[in-house]
Amino acid sequence: MATRSFLVLIMALLVFLISTFTASLMQTNEIDLIENQEGKKLYISEDLYDLNGNKVAVESLLEGKVLLNVWASWCITCLVEHPFLKKVTESKDVELVGINYKDQDFNAEKYLIDNGDPYSFSVHDLSGSFSLKLGVTGAPETFLVIDGVIVSHRIGEVNMEVWNEKFAQYF
Amino acid sequence: MKNLLNIFKLIVALSLPFSLCAENLYSNLNPEELKRLNYLSDNIRCPKCSYGNISSSNAPISKDLKEEIAELINIGYSNEEIFDLMEKRYGDYVILKTDLDDNKTLFLVPLMILIISILLVTTYTIKKSK
Repeated sequence: MATRSFLVLIMALLVFLISTFTASLMQTNEIDLIENQEGKKLYISEDLYDLNGNKVAVESLLEGKVLLNVWASWCITCLVEHPFLKKVTESKDVELVGINYKDQDFNAEKYLIDNGDPYSFSVHDLSGSFSLKLGVTGAPETFLVIDGVIVSHRIGEVNMEVWNEKFAQYF
Repeated sequence: MKNLLNIFKLIVALSLPFSLCAENLYSNLNPEELKRLNYLSDNIRCPKCSYGNISSSNAPISKDLKEEIAELINIGYSNEEIFDLMEKRYGDYVILKTDLDDNKTLFLVPLMILIISILLVTTYTIKKSK
């Protein structure tokens, strides 16, 4: 009797293990382990300058709906998402502000001349310190800030699918 | 031969400024604080590459984070405050050190199972041998 219940127990354990294993194999979407910045306040502790060297009015980033896009001329994926950003700014009422991440200003300007400029202006973050405090881990990244609060954060390329999932509901 | 020696001297003289620059990394920290920087960067995961800590990673963001931590130490932040800041920014996944207080059940349950099973086996064998 004891051995029989023991066998049943072992079998149940085996079935459980195999089913969890197959379930983990079926899982296709990657789990985000690094927390994104959604729900946090946009905190600006330093003076910001745009690509022309003019000081940026910080209030303009903290009021209303602002889409922040981290980009750089050396970043290949930024070039991939660039046409989509242009399409979005043309077809919708979006204030798109660029954060030029660890980039030389002449390279950045050349990039904008070559590929078009969808940004209202771009913050020149040469050292990357503003982006680091914002929680940026690389380029490209896109933040939607509404009245100073980050409501949506995408690490990586923004395309139609991502736009519909993360940003479209706010526009 | 003398020419060669002069060229060598020139090279040494020219490379001297670079070697002096190299020494200036984290020069604002004393040895005690450098030890803290090493401890912290050994225990914070690189948020970009996530397979290792920031002291073993060559990702630009790891370098930036090390510099930021050095600056925070310099301002007077404690280790706990720096861990808290990193956890707030990137989530608890980036903290590699184990917090015993937060995970009491995780550590205690296997230990209890072990003790209980040892007790069960010993009582069973003692019973059987009688």
